[in-house]
Amino acid sequence: MRILLSWVKEFVDAPEPAGELARALTKAGLTVESVAEERGETVLEIELNTNRPDAMNHFGVAREVAAIYGRELRRPKVEFREAAKPAGESAAIEIADAALCARYVGRVAADVKIAPSPDWMRRRLEQCEIRAINNVADVTNYVLLEIGQPTHAFDLDTLGGARIVVRRAAAGERLTTLDGVARALDRESLVIADAKRAVALAGVMGGAETEISARTRNVLIESAWFDPASIRRTARRLNLHTEASHRFERGADVEAAPWAADRIAGLLEQLAGATVLAGRIDCYPSERRRTAIPLRASSLRRHLGIEIPPDEVERILEALGFRLDPREAGWEAIPPTWRLDVEREIDVIEEVARLYGYDRFPSRLPAWSGGAEAAPNARAEQRLAEAARSLGYDEAITYSFIGSAEAGRFGSWPAVAVRNPVSELQDVLRNSAVPGLLRAVEWNLNRGQNEARLFEIGRLYRAEGGTFSEPPVMALAATGRAKLVDFFHLKADVTSLLNLFAGQTFHVEQPTDSAYYRAGHSAQILADGVVIARFGEIHPELAAERKFRHPVLLAEIWLDRLYRLGLRQPSFRPLPRMPAVDRDFSLLLPEGTPFERIVEAAGRPPHLVRLEPVEIFRGEQVPEGKYSLLLRAVWQREDATLTDEEVNGYAREIVETLKREFGAEQR
Amino acid sequence: MSVTEQTAQSLVDLGADAALVEKLYAELGELFDGELAQAASAEQVRALRDRWLGRKQGLLTATNDSWLKTAPRDLKPAVGRLQNKLKARVEEIVEQRGRAAAAAVVRAEPGIDITLPGPERVIGARHPVRIVREEIEHIFRGLGYSVFDGPEIESDYYNFEALNFPDNHPARDAMDTIFLTKTMLLRTHTSPCQIRAMEKTRPPLRYVVFGKCYRHDAPDATHSPMFHQFEAFAVDENISFCDLKGTLEHFTRQFFGASVRARFRPSFFPFTEPSAEVDISCIFCDGRGCRKCKQSGYIEILGSGMIDPALYGYVNYDPERYSGFAFGCGLERLAILKYGVEDIQLFFQGDARFLRQFR
Repeated sequence: MRILLSWVKEFVDAPEPAGELARALTKAGLTVESVAEERGETVLEIELNTNRPDAMNHFGVAREVAAIYGRELRRPKVEFREAAKPAGESAAIEIADAALCARYVGRVAADVKIAPSPDWMRRRLEQCEIRAINNVADVTNYVLLEIGQPTHAFDLDTLGGARIVVRRAAAGERLTTLDGVARALDRESLVIADAKRAVALAGVMGGAETEISARTRNVLIESAWFDPASIRRTARRLNLHTEASHRFERGADVEAAPWAADRIAGLLEQLAGATVLAGRIDCYPSERRRTAIPLRASSLRRHLGIEIPPDEVERILEALGFRLDPREAGWEAIPPTWRLDVEREIDVIEEVARLYGYDRFPSRLPAWSGGAEAAPNARAEQRLAEAARSLGYDEAITYSFIGSAEAGRFGSWPAVAVRNPVSELQDVLRNSAVPGLLRAVEWNLNRGQNEARLFEIGRLYRAEGGTFSEPPVMALAATGRAKLVDFFHLKADVTSLLNLFAGQTFHVEQPTDSAYYRAGHSAQILADGVVIARFGEIHPELAAERKFRHPVLLAEIWLDRLYRLGLRQPSFRPLPRMPAVDRDFSLLLPEGTPFERIVEAAGRPPHLVRLEPVEIFRGEQVPEGKYSLLLRAVWQREDATLTDEEVNGYAREIVETLKREFGAEQR
Repeated sequence: MSVTEQTAQSLVDLGADAALVEKLYAELGELFDGELAQAASAEQVRALRDRWLGRKQGLLTATNDSWLKTAPRDLKPAVGRLQNKLKARVEEIVEQRGRAAAAAVVRAEPGIDITLPGPERVIGARHPVRIVREEIEHIFRGLGYSVFDGPEIESDYYNFEALNFPDNHPARDAMDTIFLTKTMLLRTHTSPCQIRAMEKTRPPLRYVVFGKCYRHDAPDATHSPMFHQFEAFAVDENISFCDLKGTLEHFTRQFFGASVRARFRPSFFPFTEPSAEVDISCIFCDGRGCRKCKQSGYIEILGSGMIDPALYGYVNYDPERYSGFAFGCGLERLAILKYGVEDIQLFFQGDARFLRQFR
């Protein structure tokens, strides 16, 4: 909001220089973002909180300045002569819905001469970024900026029956507003109507047919108080947000209605040669009174933590326009009519704290004797992230939104749709971490990176039977140009991550659901029969679409399932005292004999510690349909050194088993 | 016959008695000393070692075999002593000379180019959001705060209603909410966790919350439809505005450094009252005024306040007995300030050139 310093100074003696005033206002919660000199005027840019419509005008800012500095406040000049003829003879006003319109004040200005406004007024309007139109329209805008009361000027001679009825719109009723748009109204909209039809959207925008024009001679000034919720609903429904609706929906000052009408009448007399008819037509079915709020000294102390002297509390609140009645435990405080945001004791306490000055409160750390706990699974997540980093993966965070086509391709369940997506290309919540990570890989390769190793830990989103869940997931992606990444690199990395978790034997098998993985180069890992991870090279078609020229490897780990296993707890085993012995066997095996089956076939003979594949090769001397495996077996006894004879016996057993089971030949 | 030749003969053949044995070993000792004086290079020392200590041809092997092994009984102890003494001396000197000669060789070598890099073994980067989160968690765990976690998909009730956002209130518009259904939405802040935590726990309580939040903002350098927030709150008897100030000052000093000053400005949030916007003295210019702080000397970092008593009605706390404070802030915003990041989009692109700056 732009505030002109010269205008504020009409109402209060502001401190010099402007920077000092800016600091004081900021300290009181009217944040001054900048102070600028423009064409001889000092302009303050003030950011107002939504609860302070009362300060959204020059007089309102002056009122704060007066309260902060304890200075006298001067109200805008209201001076005019009233003609003998009563306004009531020229126009009639009726409020048909008093719940939505608490007060409607009318004044009649007759014989106006429509002309441009004087320069001083035009300049002020323009400096507040309001376009000057003609003297009548400008005066209403000027008073809006001056005291914050939205008003409207009707061409009285266009009002059917010279009559105003404030009512809800009839179903199907239409109105063309000042912006030239024909609008369909509903029963929820409050309108200003004449004897026959709606002529304005109450508190939002006037109608085109009753607009002030060059031919206008007689003006009916409207200055009313409308229900904030109703105005807001209408403005929202029609997507029509105006200076007037902005203020009404935040709560206007019911006592400013007559005052603004008079101020406008005075200005029309002065600037448009108007004859102001006698009296206001003031429809105010039931007076809105502020109720007294008990303010206890004990509450002030409890919430604020210090004792503010009672006379200071009184000085602050009275400067802000509160009326105070001392009570035994404190006061009864009646808030001013312009502060609709103050309704409860805590609201009053805030006012005291605000003007007392936040900087005057001492700083303390509250005492505490409770323990501090980590979030569930926080430790597991931290270990996974650490391990992934130590394996060389950089941590990425990608958007929770993906496109619905991607969701259909990569997700295992229907994605949750967003009703109002920020981008049509990202219109659902992710049901897979793959699209985001693939995008990141692509991003890096397109920017001259030779490799990418990324991981992300985050949530997926799912709707089931009306409830939502957010299963945590970890995904990894790796690719390299100079150093190619293959299935086994990723398998080793995934296994390292899974091995952080408790005593499970993980089982690797062909993936059951692998549409975007390359067949034969992907796998899933199970623990206790539950799939906890899926990984492998991406499908060649997918790679081609993204113009990946080198293999891109992906892994997905379902963390909700993994976390159930719990982190591995270290447990001590005595170190072996006897040396281990190993033997290597060069074997020819039929193609399609998986290593896992060889290990299974070998079983668990005594003292065998492990079997490992040292080298695998095909071709050259290896016959078609076979592959060569250099297999290493390692034995170790806890209680004695193994003799050559013992080891030879064990080795023979293994070889015999493999010959029997698979037709292996020893080379 | 030189002593060298004599080593091939037995003591009996040499007609040795005790005195001659002494003399023979003395001559051998002198011979060694003489040859030692000539041996300068590593190669010469190696030749010396082979000549004297060689397992087959060595002079001392010869004396061992021809003198000691065949020595008459009465001479054996003396020969053994002399043989051992000389051998020990030769071994020690040869070994010492050998080490010195080898060291001289190493010293003389040109050495490797120690300025060449080693083969890279890369440690992956922590995402800056995680760095900031872990740092904040550390600060608040130290103050006794537990970590609380809540869903990103929230109901209107937790995100707005129970936080005292009235229906049809302008404060809701300011949140630019992303909706999934009429009543379910993506949380616009972490504050719903205040209600969730209070529903689960009776006071006294202290929690810190981290998580993703969402606003309907078109992405640009300063806006992102997805971002992260943290939120800390405490409820107890006698928690006051002074405690809020103290906690926030502690936090800002721990996070930004001891010289940073916090400023509290009155503000408005539906779920806190009194509310305060917290600024810190500009970390780029130390509060003197610069481009980053728009010459104000201050940078806005977070919103805070005393928990509005209206919230206690939703969780069955007695507002006459309990009070509390809450504050929250964007993690990206903190990272932007702390590390000077220029564009919030960088956090979500997965660009390794960006991420690796945070290793």
